[in-house]
Amino acid sequence: MERVPILKIGRTLFVSIQIELQDDTVVRLQEDLADELSATGARGVVIDITAVEIVDSFIGRMLSMIGSISRLFDAETVIVGMRPAVAITLTELGLSLNGVRTALNAEKGLELLNGKA
Amino acid sequence: MTNELARLSVRSLPDVFAARRLGRELAAGLGLEHQDQVRVATALSEVSRSAVSLGQTAAITFAADENSLVLSVAVDGTPPADGIAAAARLMDVVAADEQVIRMSKRRPLHSTPDFPALTERLAAMLPESTLDELRRNNQDLIAALEDVTRQKEQLAALNAELQETNRGVMALYGELSEELEQTNRGVVALYRELDEKSEQLRAAAESKNRFWANISHELRSPLNSIIGLARLLADPDGGLDAEQSYQVELIRGAAATLLTMVNDLLDVAKAESGRYVVNPTEVGLPALLATLRGLMRPVTDGKPVEVVICAEDAPPTLLTDEMALTAILRNLLSNAVKYTDSGEVRVTARTLPGRVELQVSDTGTGIPAQEIERVFEEFYQVPGARRGGTGLGLPYARRLARLLGGELTLASDAGRGTTAVLSLPLKPAAEVSGVSA
Repeated sequence: MERVPILKIGRTLFVSIQIELQDDTVVRLQEDLADELSATGARGVVIDITAVEIVDSFIGRMLSMIGSISRLFDAETVIVGMRPAVAITLTELGLSLNGVRTALNAEKGLELLNGKA
Repeated sequence: MTNELARLSVRSLPDVFAARRLGRELAAGLGLEHQDQVRVATALSEVSRSAVSLGQTAAITFAADENSLVLSVAVDGTPPADGIAAAARLMDVVAADEQVIRMSKRRPLHSTPDFPALTERLAAMLPESTLDELRRNNQDLIAALEDVTRQKEQLAALNAELQETNRGVMALYGELSEELEQTNRGVVALYRELDEKSEQLRAAAESKNRFWANISHELRSPLNSIIGLARLLADPDGGLDAEQSYQVELIRGAAATLLTMVNDLLDVAKAESGRYVVNPTEVGLPALLATLRGLMRPVTDGKPVEVVICAEDAPPTLLTDEMALTAILRNLLSNAVKYTDSGEVRVTARTLPGRVELQVSDTGTGIPAQEIERVFEEFYQVPGARRGGTGLGLPYARRLARLLGGELTLASDAGRGTTAVLSLPLKPAAEVSGVSA
């Protein structure tokens, strides 16, 4: 099973997903992020999904859940770099990513978090 | 007409992932645009995941007809409603009957997909089932096992060969050592024989010397009697007439010669038996040579032979046994004079580092090359060149020279003359033992 690395930049955790997401990878990422948040006390999470081409309802729900869990650690989650096809598909599926904010790219995402702080 | 391109059986979550990728590839191969590729993949993902989460197995058929991409998912249970609902949002047509969900998506009509190539690509993406993997692993294992067995056999063969070689070597070794032992035994026996022989030789030489000494001694007394009585008879007042006196004188001369020979023999026996004790003293060499020259004068016996002494280069004194040295030189000189009819006999003394060299050269008959060493044998005389003497002079001289720590050699040119070289140390060696034989 592949693992997604989590980088700490200042008070923000940065996750760049460079692989096609499988269910267990996402579950693992959710657990890892929760551990990392509790350990570091980070205030924000940026998840870059530029390389992800398919987000189905399960993966969408999991991303949404990551946002909810982060909030319990007093951290905000921003999903950045979503591809148009992914956005359209999510919309067609009727999924809205509750609990997470989105930004066009990583830079904008970090700005969003810093603006809040 | 429906063109089936691949089949996939989805039992677990990793299979869902594979279904997604296959759907995407199929859509791409049929020329669907990117957004539709994602839709098809996502729809497959939704349907197959919901089936798997219900514990069902989904058999997916990937196909295409004239104007659509066609997916049919057969499940072994009630088709999952939420999956179908999600898929319906993404596909053009989704229909479900008892156990089969059929979905289709229009494909662009102008595209002409390469179906064989697409089939091949999809087949390459199919996940390997556990059973297949197990079978493949098994085959690998069997191959490896066969390999090992073959290697083992080779090793055994090699080992057997090695053992054979080893036996050969051992046999060879045994043979060799036996041969060696035999040779060894032979050598030991030979050695023992040699020992015995040399012992016998020593005994023989000893008894010979004893015999000589005894005989000479026994002969000397009667000879002295003969000489004494002959002298008495030859007395001028003896009343013998001239003829008788002459005859008696002949008897006396013959007896005197015989006495000399007996004395020589005695000397040799003495030197050889090692009883000759070297007694080194300071010897004035020029004086000794002059005395010798005087001694030799009567021996030339009226022949036109001149004895020349060249002692300018000689050391004034020499630490050696004077009697032995005199005996050697007298022997050499008398030989030289004896075998020279005319010309000169030259005695040259030279000093060399640590040694003195005395040369006696004559212009006499010489000795043929093949006889040079034989003349040092006792009683040997060069055939056809006899001029009296016992044949003991040279062997005696050489023996004495060796007793003095020196050496006597001869060089000769037949018909032109002979040169005898006596080489002596300036001082005797620390210990000069009487060496016999």
